[in-house]
Amino acid sequence: MRALAETTTARGSSAPAGSGAPAGTRLSRAWLALPVAAVVLVLSIGVAVTIGPADLALSEVGRSLATHLGLSGPLGLEPLTALRDGMVWQLRMPRILTAAAVGAGLALCGAVMQSLTRNPLADPYLLGLSSGASLGAVLVLLAGVPLLLPVAAFVGAVGALALALSLAGALGAITPTRTVLAGLAISQLCAAAVSFVIFWSAKGDAFREVLSWLMGSVASATWTSVAIAGGAVLVLGTLLALTGSVLDAFTFGETAAAALGVPVNRARWILLIGVALLTGALVSQSGSIGFVGLILPHAVRLFTGARHRLLLPLSALAGASFLVWADTLARTVFEPRELPVGIVTAAIGAPVFAFLLWRGNHR
Amino acid sequence: MYPRPARTSRALALPAIAVAALALAACSPSASGSPDAEATTPASGSYPVTVDNCGFETTVEAAPQRVVTIKSSTTEMLLALGLGDRIVGSAFLDGPVPDSLETVPAVEKPFASEAPGSEATLALEPDLVYAGWESNLTAETAGDRATLARLGVATYVSPAACKADGYMPDPLTFDTVFAEIEEVGSLFDADDAAGELVREQRAALDAVKPDDRGLTALWWSSGDDTPYVGAGIGAPQMIMEAAGLTNVSADVHDTWTSLGWENVVEADPDVLVLVDAAWNSADAKIETLESNPATREMTAVKEQRYVVVPFPATEAGVRNVDAVASVVDQLADLDL
Amino acid sequence: MSAATDLPALAPQAPSARRGGLTAERVTWEISGRLILDDVGVLAPTGAVTGLLGPNGSGKSTLLRVLAGVQQAGRAAPPSADLPSPVAQPGPTTAFDGADLAALPRRERARVLALVEQDATTDLPLSVLDAVLLGRIPHRSLLAGDSDADRTAAHAALATAGAGDLADREVGTLSGGERQRVHMARALAQDPRLLLLDEPTNHLDIAAQLHAMRVLRDLAADGVTVVAALHDLNHAASTCDHLVLLDQGRVVASGPVGDVLVPEVLEPVYGVRVDVLTHPRTGRPVLSFDRD
Repeated sequence: MRALAETTTARGSSAPAGSGAPAGTRLSRAWLALPVAAVVLVLSIGVAVTIGPADLALSEVGRSLATHLGLSGPLGLEPLTALRDGMVWQLRMPRILTAAAVGAGLALCGAVMQSLTRNPLADPYLLGLSSGASLGAVLVLLAGVPLLLPVAAFVGAVGALALALSLAGALGAITPTRTVLAGLAISQLCAAAVSFVIFWSAKGDAFREVLSWLMGSVASATWTSVAIAGGAVLVLGTLLALTGSVLDAFTFGETAAAALGVPVNRARWILLIGVALLTGALVSQSGSIGFVGLILPHAVRLFTGARHRLLLPLSALAGASFLVWADTLARTVFEPRELPVGIVTAAIGAPVFAFLLWRGNHR
Repeated sequence: MYPRPARTSRALALPAIAVAALALAACSPSASGSPDAEATTPASGSYPVTVDNCGFETTVEAAPQRVVTIKSSTTEMLLALGLGDRIVGSAFLDGPVPDSLETVPAVEKPFASEAPGSEATLALEPDLVYAGWESNLTAETAGDRATLARLGVATYVSPAACKADGYMPDPLTFDTVFAEIEEVGSLFDADDAAGELVREQRAALDAVKPDDRGLTALWWSSGDDTPYVGAGIGAPQMIMEAAGLTNVSADVHDTWTSLGWENVVEADPDVLVLVDAAWNSADAKIETLESNPATREMTAVKEQRYVVVPFPATEAGVRNVDAVASVVDQLADLDL
Repeated sequence: MSAATDLPALAPQAPSARRGGLTAERVTWEISGRLILDDVGVLAPTGAVTGLLGPNGSGKSTLLRVLAGVQQAGRAAPPSADLPSPVAQPGPTTAFDGADLAALPRRERARVLALVEQDATTDLPLSVLDAVLLGRIPHRSLLAGDSDADRTAAHAALATAGAGDLADREVGTLSGGERQRVHMARALAQDPRLLLLDEPTNHLDIAAQLHAMRVLRDLAADGVTVVAALHDLNHAASTCDHLVLLDQGRVVASGPVGDVLVPEVLEPVYGVRVDVLTHPRTGRPVLSFDRD
């Protein structure tokens, strides 16, 4: 090894012994992004809760929050009327917090899926997860058993994943390409089933509720939704975010990953199931909100590069802030009407997606 | 919308009944009310009133003072009962208020032209949201009924618009419409006004002499590629029957249904009843009929046998009787 | 190392070679019912460069992956020449420095051996340094980040592979030769004692090819066991100490360079006329080919 140093100097390279300095500053600068993103998220939530069609003064919002956080006594604040307080605490807060949780989870799952399938156009719904969830949800919505909606959506998501993986496995070794194609097939199948079920049994205005769910919306979020979505993101999301090194190992393919000591099959299954569980939980609360899982990882990657240890948590934080703002837009841009947030994410996401495709072609 | 009420009724049935029972036991606010009033048929002045509305237990604690109305049917109902001053906001109206009803500023300037969002509705601080369609009361529109109830906002859907089994009127009759007027009266402690209105409407209905020529008719509500027509059990059927028309789609067991143009041409009704709505006018319908080579040949189109009904009058409400009278008058003008 | 030229003279077979190094026997691999490898045995001594030769489809890449324990498709099978017998036949063995490679836990194996593949690419925006740092993954816990020691090792690996000035470049912007060096550096960052390479001179211009072979020689001199699948027989001639020749999944010849690179052995396998000449300065064989 010593002898080679001569060769490299002969080539005119600087062969820096301690080039840790420039690389190190770049790294630590990138790591600063995490606390900054966290602060941005908290600020976003704080600002978003003051925005809405109702004419609520900042002080009123503050009073409502303080009351519920138990601070009204010490601060000597008057609580609001039940209705005005309800607008802040029952309508806006659960909605914003659910949007944050769902955005975080979807962006995280998207980043994991893109690395797992080595496909930059992958998203959390790739393996039939959203179509399966939609099928489950539509079935219970039209059967008139809305209590079971979250459960049905979750079961549908995981069921579709199982089907997709079985299909991929039945075709031979499970390769990323086969998995993607099988997922596509199952997605189309479930989407067709959803259309058929709607066509066959939807009466009167049932279309609206189903459509709203299919487009993705956090309008019906309650504190239970916050608990479910937030809990899922905190538990499953944290676990997924810790798999940075494993995903890094997959960068150059599965053989390379295996050569680096990663148990490829086991890792892939665990990651896929983790993504499916988390996505299923999120979709059960908010419907299938599109483009967050697809676009956010790319945007964050532009900033952090492809190392997952930073990419995953930063994607989650960025996704949370993004969806909070998208939902704020959805609530206010056409007030007094409200749009399902999935429309806003599609309106923003589709052009960005097209740009990504174009840029990919022109590399 | 059947899913939400079903869930919320299960969740709220017990507490709602408990509240009603407690309040009754604690002596009603209006001392002159009869003390033995039942929960569902209270005499004037006896609150709280609880009704089973599309499967959702709605409890009104006191006469609503701040009402948000969604859709023309409910707005005009309140105006006809003389309760227009209680309306703090109207939304999603289907057309102008008829001259016979006195309008109010909140109706002249609706706060939303389509289904309003939850926060916009609550910003008006209503104590009752009176909706014309079930879909107006979901989380994506004016608000989930259970959530609103928790915030102290009662909700009431026009019973004729319920879609759930057992709640959808099958068929819709004038008795159903009049029963709604009376139920609304009981919610507002306006039973006298309601009774008076019902009497007026019944008299007007009885005064109408239905057409006796045994004419067949098709009621075209909306849609171009596939017309959305009045079927066997809804308001169109009710109005046409009272006017003496035979509905060619009466055999379809639904309120409205989609029919292919082929079926329409085959039935070749004597008269075409066209609904005039802002988003789909009667004139546009006539133009479609006259330009389509198949429908051009229909008897009613060749002879221009059209009867026009304004959209708000075609949903169950206070204008149905007027619609019947208008249809009969228009039929008389047609020379057949 | 020879003083006169950069290329070493023919190294004699070290007598103690059998104690260390890679020893594989009865390696047989089946994919979809076809035997890709049949009763392959490889002996790669420590401190020497062993070349794996054979025409396309002879199973070189599969053999390397099987030796590394990373071949996904297919499974081990009994050699075709085995007679049916009620007694269980011995299975394949893959041993390195006396330890059974197959029995090692994955991560430990990744600390012992490294594999440089033919065409490893990625679309992701990854810097060269980050790509090389991936090689440190077996040396730290899965949850840990890069330590300073890792970064030092990565830079050293880059320097060894001759890519020290590429550290801040993006992998996607590199030329074929530069990428190959980066992959080599990634493997070297694993600090392996056994280095397996699959056609390391693909896509390289002549200078880069020679540089790559030189790196292999120097690694071998440092005590690393190097096994490289080569398609260019002249590289094998100039650099390797020991050769294994595969044809359709079977070993047809193995031994010192002089024993394997002879027309009688090569001609049936490659289907061309081979003339073996002698290099004027190094004395190593130089091959020339003709159509039959």
